[in-house]
Amino acid sequence: MSAVAKSTSEILTWVADIFETPADGIRPETKRDEIDAWDSLGILTLIARMDEDFQVLLTEDEIQELRSVGDIIEVLRRHGGVADNP
Amino acid sequence: MAKCTISGVSLKGIVSGVPSRRFDNFKDATGFTEDEVRKVVGMAGVKSRRMAGDAVCSSDLCQAAAEDLLGKIGWPRDSVDALIMVTQSPDYLLPSTACLLQTKLGLPTTCAAFDVGLGCSGYPYGLYLGALMISGGGIKRALVLHGETPSRFADESDRSVSLLFGDAGSATALEAGGADGEAPWSFVLHSDGSGFEDLIIPGGGFRERFPEDRRRYYVSMNGANIFSFSIKRVPAVIQDTLELAGIGKDDIDYYVFHQSNQFIMRHLAKKMGIAEAKMPLTLGDFGNTGGPSIPLTITQGNLERPAGRALTLMLVGYGVGLSWASALVRLGPGAVLGHAEVQNQP
Repeated sequence: MSAVAKSTSEILTWVADIFETPADGIRPETKRDEIDAWDSLGILTLIARMDEDFQVLLTEDEIQELRSVGDIIEVLRRHGGVADNP
Repeated sequence: MAKCTISGVSLKGIVSGVPSRRFDNFKDATGFTEDEVRKVVGMAGVKSRRMAGDAVCSSDLCQAAAEDLLGKIGWPRDSVDALIMVTQSPDYLLPSTACLLQTKLGLPTTCAAFDVGLGCSGYPYGLYLGALMISGGGIKRALVLHGETPSRFADESDRSVSLLFGDAGSATALEAGGADGEAPWSFVLHSDGSGFEDLIIPGGGFRERFPEDRRRYYVSMNGANIFSFSIKRVPAVIQDTLELAGIGKDDIDYYVFHQSNQFIMRHLAKKMGIAEAKMPLTLGDFGNTGGPSIPLTITQGNLERPAGRALTLMLVGYGVGLSWASALVRLGPGAVLGHAEVQNQP
């Protein structure tokens, strides 16, 4: 597990902060197209924050995988960024 | 691994060249709401750009820059031994744009002239080739020209590339004979063609000669992949270059990056602990002009030049190819910098 690992609920708040959207609207099942700011610019912010906050550099395949908030959690989990189990 | 140091070459001068026609992203962009423009400008940092329009080619911008440069440094035309034109927006598929420029600039027919087909990484590669030709002997003076007209291959209705690209050319003069005691230049040059589709004009080449869909003639960019590539590759190439040169991060006076996007550049600076004052930005006035954004930023980035001492510059190009490269060079106190405009007001 990474030294910067967060709990799932902390990650939901973190995602909400990135996309400047209320935290109560962000759940693992929230889809990309339900989040206005998760557009072609928003994805850049997400990639930057993954690097800054988790030291995770996404591969091209991982970027293509990201279609929901749950996918973000899953990618972070794979890189040791999630402190609790599913 | 492609890395090397080259001695005995000096940089005599750099002149950039842009079209006079200015496009203000806030005032002149159509098809976008004010909020959309504000959001894109806030991220990419491009407030205005210089646009070539249909009549100006990268060769015209480079020609203007080279004419100005040759005048400023006083090189007789017949003393130029080599001309390298780095571009991915050539006048023609053939002949080489370098040959057109050899005659337009009145350079002798004894001059070697050829094109290099690289984009964002083209300036370090061009300097490497010019310096290498000189250090190989026989060639004493070389002009490295680098120009692009990305606004002419970007579809402004494509949100991933709109409001971003401007046009620019440049001319750089390299001469045999380094300053006494000057440290050698260092170069690191890399490529990864597996990402070729991340920034591509698919149509019009020989793989897809005459596609019916006109959009195939315009550039298509996967911004997320390019950003991810930049974060992975740029810090490593800088670290490798510093190690090759045997100097530290703080020994660099300026980190002159390809002006890709302000958000990306600031992230890279923060990640590497580079002070923003050491990383000049010219995106605000000129946009992303491709690889020529490096020489453009050297001339237009308000670099402070202390008297009697050479500046140590880390030049880093990264993008289309995918290709990335660095050039650690010295800009001596006598080197001339200039900026030219090609008149193309409608």
